[in-house]
Amino acid sequence: MNMKVDIKKFTTSIFRDYLVLVAILALILVTMVVEPRFMSTQNMTNIFRQFGPLSLVSLGMTFVIIGGFIDLSVAGIFSLVCVVTVSLIDPIGQVPAMIVGLLVGIVCGLLNSFLLLSSGALTQAEALFITFGMSMITGAFALFITGGMVLNFSDLAGNFALFTAIGSGTVGLFPISLIIFSVALVILHFFQSKTIMGRTICLTGGNKTAARLTGLSVNGSIMMIYALSGFLTALGAINQFSRTTTASPTMGKGFETNAILAVVVGGTTLKGGKGSVLRTLMGTMLIILMSNCLNLLGVSSFMQNVTKGAILVIAIWLDNRKPL
Amino acid sequence: MSQAASAEILSVTDVSKSFPGVKALDQVSFSVKRGTVHGLVGENGAGKSTLMKILSGVYTKDSGTVVFDGQEVPSTTPIKSMNMGLAIIYQELNLVNQLSVGENIFLGRFSEMGGMRGVHAKGRELLDSIASKIDTHKLVEELSVSEKQMVEIAKALSFQSKLIIMDEPSSSLTSDELKELYVIIRELKSRGISIIYISHKLDEIFDLCDTVTIMRDGHVIDTRAISDLTRGDMIAKMVGRTIENEYPPRANKVGEILLEVKSLNTLKLNDVSFSVRKGEILGLVGLVGAGRTEIVRALFGADKTRGHEIRIDGKPVKIRNPKDAIQAGFGFVSEDRKLQGLVLPFSVEQNISMASLQKIAPKGILRKSLEKAIAEKHVKSLAVKTPTIKTKVVSLSGGNQQKCIIGRWLETTPRILIMDEPTRGIDVGAKYEIYILMKEIAESGGAVIMISSELPEVLNMSNRVLTVYEGRITGEFDPIRYSADRVMESALGFKGGAEA
Amino acid sequence: MNRNTLLQSAGKLISKQKALIAVLLMLILMLFTQTNFYTPFNIVDMLNSSSILLILAFGVTMTVISGGCDLSIGGVLVVSGIIAIRLINDLNMNIGLAILISLIFGAGVGFINGFLVVQQKTEPFIITLGMGMTLTGLAQQLTNARPVTCDNEAFTMISNGKIIPGVNNLVVIMLVILVIAHYVMRYTQFGRSMYAIGGDYEVARYSGINVVFVKWATFVICGMLAALAGVLLSSKLNSGSSIYGETTALIVNCAVVVGGVSFAGGVGGIPQAALGLLVFGVLQNAMNMLNVQSFAQILTQGLVIVAIIWLDSYSRKVKRERV
Repeated sequence: MNMKVDIKKFTTSIFRDYLVLVAILALILVTMVVEPRFMSTQNMTNIFRQFGPLSLVSLGMTFVIIGGFIDLSVAGIFSLVCVVTVSLIDPIGQVPAMIVGLLVGIVCGLLNSFLLLSSGALTQAEALFITFGMSMITGAFALFITGGMVLNFSDLAGNFALFTAIGSGTVGLFPISLIIFSVALVILHFFQSKTIMGRTICLTGGNKTAARLTGLSVNGSIMMIYALSGFLTALGAINQFSRTTTASPTMGKGFETNAILAVVVGGTTLKGGKGSVLRTLMGTMLIILMSNCLNLLGVSSFMQNVTKGAILVIAIWLDNRKPL
Repeated sequence: MSQAASAEILSVTDVSKSFPGVKALDQVSFSVKRGTVHGLVGENGAGKSTLMKILSGVYTKDSGTVVFDGQEVPSTTPIKSMNMGLAIIYQELNLVNQLSVGENIFLGRFSEMGGMRGVHAKGRELLDSIASKIDTHKLVEELSVSEKQMVEIAKALSFQSKLIIMDEPSSSLTSDELKELYVIIRELKSRGISIIYISHKLDEIFDLCDTVTIMRDGHVIDTRAISDLTRGDMIAKMVGRTIENEYPPRANKVGEILLEVKSLNTLKLNDVSFSVRKGEILGLVGLVGAGRTEIVRALFGADKTRGHEIRIDGKPVKIRNPKDAIQAGFGFVSEDRKLQGLVLPFSVEQNISMASLQKIAPKGILRKSLEKAIAEKHVKSLAVKTPTIKTKVVSLSGGNQQKCIIGRWLETTPRILIMDEPTRGIDVGAKYEIYILMKEIAESGGAVIMISSELPEVLNMSNRVLTVYEGRITGEFDPIRYSADRVMESALGFKGGAEA
Repeated sequence: MNRNTLLQSAGKLISKQKALIAVLLMLILMLFTQTNFYTPFNIVDMLNSSSILLILAFGVTMTVISGGCDLSIGGVLVVSGIIAIRLINDLNMNIGLAILISLIFGAGVGFINGFLVVQQKTEPFIITLGMGMTLTGLAQQLTNARPVTCDNEAFTMISNGKIIPGVNNLVVIMLVILVIAHYVMRYTQFGRSMYAIGGDYEVARYSGINVVFVKWATFVICGMLAALAGVLLSSKLNSGSSIYGETTALIVNCAVVVGGVSFAGGVGGIPQAALGLLVFGVLQNAMNMLNVQSFAQILTQGLVIVAIIWLDSYSRKVKRERV
C-alpha cells in the first residue's frame, strides 16, 4: 500500500517539476533529427547571440519575483533607455550616453519601489498594476523623445563604436553580448547566494512579516530588486539597439511577458522566496532553443506566441499545485 | 423520551476531540435546560471554543453524543445547525463588513425573503423586536461592536433559534451597552430561548446565569446552579490543578533595573509603564485580547506607538522598528510562528541563521561553514528533531519549529528576550528544556519577558507577574506570595491591586 | 466642528467619489474649450466607443466583486471577434450560429479560468494574464497579424444598425446588458452571493452559499461577455484584428477600480464600474478633441492608473496603522 502511494507521489512530483523541461528537451531532440541545420555553427552562433537582451531582462525579473513581487514596467523602461541613450550619443558622446542610459534604468526602477513603499502596497497584485502604469508612463516618454520615429545609427554623427562592439563584436567564438551576459550572471549568482542583501531578498519573498520581525531591511530589499531590474533592463536595452543599430520607442514591447515566462519556465516560483538566476538561465536557454527549433521547423511566429502563452499558463498552474 | 429529556434543549455526553498533538476535549458532558441562561467559564485553552465549534458544526467531534431539541445530532454543518435552531455568536463576529445589516441577517436567503425589500422589511421587524434602532441599510463596517452584536442576535432570531451561544459577548462593550445586552438576554429568556453565555467576566455570569459549567484543560469540572457557588469557588475550580514537578527552581539573581518602559500608548494600550530587572523573568498574565502581545510588539518596534519612553541601563533608547530593538538587545519569539516567525519554504539552517546574517558574513560574504556551525549548535542544544539542517521547516512538527525560532533568537544573545507563548504545542520534555534556557538567560544577567496563557507556567517561572486587562496594567505580583486565584482575579479586572 | 475634522470629512468624500469628481472636472473643463466636445455627434461617438469597454467591464466587475479578477478579457475579445468574422466570411456560416460559437468559446475560456482559480486555487491575476497572452497569440495566428474584413452587410448592421432611430444597436445592446447585470447584482441571490464571497469567503461558505459554483460562474459570464464584446467590436469596425487586446485587459480592470470596485472584493457594482470606464472614456475623447498627442494620452492614462491604485493602497495603509 505504502509503495503505491510513494510511487504515485514520485511520478506526480516529476510531472510537476519537470514537465516543461522534458517537453522542451524532447522538442530539441526532434529538431536535431528532423533538421540537421540545427547543429550548424551558424545556428549555434545565432543562438548565442540571442542571449543578450531577453536574458538580461529576465535576470532582473528573477530578483523581483524572488522578492515576492512582479515588474511589468520593463517594457517601457527598455524602450525609454533605447531612445534616451541613442539620442544622447551625438550631444554628449557614447560613453556618457551609455552611463545615462543605465542611470535611467536604475532611476525608473527606484521610482517603482518608491511608489510601492510609500503607498504601503504589500501584494504582488498591487505591484502588477503600479508597474503596468509605470510602463505606460515610461513608454510615453520614449514616444515623446523620438516623436514616434525610429532612430538610426546611420544618422549619427558621433562615434558609436562602443555599441557596435557590444552588438556584433566577438572575442573568438563568443559574441561580446554573451560575455556581458555571463559576467552579469556570475555576479548576480554570487550576489544572491553569498551576500546579506541577496539572502534578505529571498527571506523577504519567503515571509515578509517574519523577515521584518527579524530586523531585516525589507524596504531596502524592495528598493534593491526594482533598481536591479531597472539596471538589467537598461543593459538589455543597450545590447538590443547595439545589435539592431536602431532604436524605436516601442522596442521593449513584449519583453515583460517573455521575461516572466523565462523565469517561470526555469522553475522559480511566482510565490516568491525560492529561486535562482541559474534557473532563469535554464529557462531563458529553453525558450531561445524552443524558438530556434520551432523556427527551423517552419512554425509561424504567432503559433510560437501561442505556445509560449500556453506554457506560461501550464507552468503557473503546476507551480501552484506544488507543496511548499 | 421521558419528561426530563424534553426539559433539556441541549445534552452533551462524553464528547471528545483531539487535534494533532493535543487533546482539546476529554469526555465532556453537560446539559442545558430550556429557557435558561447557562454560563460556561474556563481559562484560555480550557476547551470552550472547541466545544462551541463542534456544536455549531465548524468541527466534527471524535466521539460522544450531542442531543439537541430531542434529536440526536451525529454531525452537522454551520448552516444545518442554524436551521435546526442552534445559533452561535462568535467573539470575532461572523458578518460580512461590506454588506448591509439587512443582507447580513439573511445572508444566503436573499430570494426566500423576497429580495431587497423583503430582506430589509423583515430585518426591521427582527431588530424592532429586540428594541434596536439600527438602520438595516447601514453597512456593517460602520457599526459599533455592540450594534454588530445586535445584528448577530437578529440573525439568530431569524432562524427561530431555540439556543443561542454567545462567545465573550461583552468583551468590547461599554457598561451602558452591556446593560442593553442584559435586557435583551432576559427578553429572549422570557420567550423560551436558551442561552449559553461564555465569558470571563464573572460578574456577568453571576448576574445573568441560572446555571454554570466550569471547564479546565478539556474537561468539565462541574456544572452547578449559580446559587450554589461563590466567586471564590468558581475561580478555584477554573484554576486549580496539581502542580507537578515540571518546572526548574526559579532563577533568583535579580539585580538592578535593566529596562524601563514609560507611557506606552497605542490604539489598544493605555499608558502602560513597567520595568524589568537584570536576572528577572517577568510574566505577563491576562485574557486573550487584553493587550499583552500589543505591549511587547510596541516595545519591539513592530507596531506604531506614540510618545513613549524606553530606557535600558538608565539610558534612553529610541526604538522605531525591529532592527533598532535588536540592536538595543531585544529578541522576540512571536506568538504565531507560521505567519510571523517561520519562513516555511526555507531550511532549518536558514531559519535559524536569519537573525544573525551579520555574524555569518564577516566581510559581507555569507560563509556556509559559519551558518552550518550555528545551525548545528542550536539543533543539538535544543534537541530539534529534524532529518538534517537542510530540511525545510515546514515538514517539522510544531514543537520543533518553535525550537528553531528560539534557536534563532538565542544566537543573537539578547539581553531582553521576549517570548510570546513560547511553549505552545510543545511536549513536556521539550518544555523543560526551554524553561532551563530561560533560566540561563536570566542568570547570566539578561531578562526574559514571558507571555503565556498557561497560568501555572507563568507563575512557576516568573520572578514577578504583571496582570494586563483591557490595555492597562492592573496589578503586580510576586508569585511566591500570591495565589493563582488572586492573580487571576486581577487579570479578570477585579480589585486592581498593585502589590508586590 | 473644527478645521481638522472638516478637512478629514472632505478628504473622505473626495476619495469615495473620486471617479465622479474626475468626470465632472473634465466635463467642466471641456466647457471652456473651443472644441466639438459638446456636439451630438461627439457624444454619440463617445458612447459608441465606450460601449465595447463597458460590456467588458460588466463581466470583470462580477469577478472582482467575488474576490478575483480577469485579465484574459483582451484575448477573448480579439479571438471571438476573429472567430465570428472568419466563420461568416470564409465558411459562409449563418450569422446567428457564428455568434453563438463565439459566445461558447468565451464561456469555455471562462470555464477554464474558473477551474484554475476556484478549483485549483491559483492566483487569478497572473493566470488570467497568461491566458490572455495565449489568446492574443492565437488571434495573431488566425489572422496572420493583419486585419480580416467582412463582406457581410447584415453582420455590420448588428452594431451599426439603428433599430431605435438615432442610437446605434451597439449602445442599445450595452444598455440592455447594463440593466440586466445591475439587476442581477443588486436584486438576485446569485448576485448578492458574489458580494458575500468577495467580502468574506468563509462567512459566505458557512451561511450555505455555494461559493465554488458562484465564483466559477462569474468567470464563465465574464468570458461570455468578453466574447460578446468581441463580436460587437468586429461588427462595428467590420473587421477583426489582433491589436485591440493588448492593454485592454489591464485598463478595464484598472478602470473598474477607479470607479469604486475594490480589488479586495465585496464592494462596488455596475454603476461604479460604468463610472470608472467613463473616466477613461471621457479622458480619451477629451484628449482627442484637444488634439493631445498620442504620447501624452498614454502618459495621462498611465498617470491615472498609478494614482488611483496608489490612493487605494494608501487608504488601506492608513486604516492599518491607526495609533
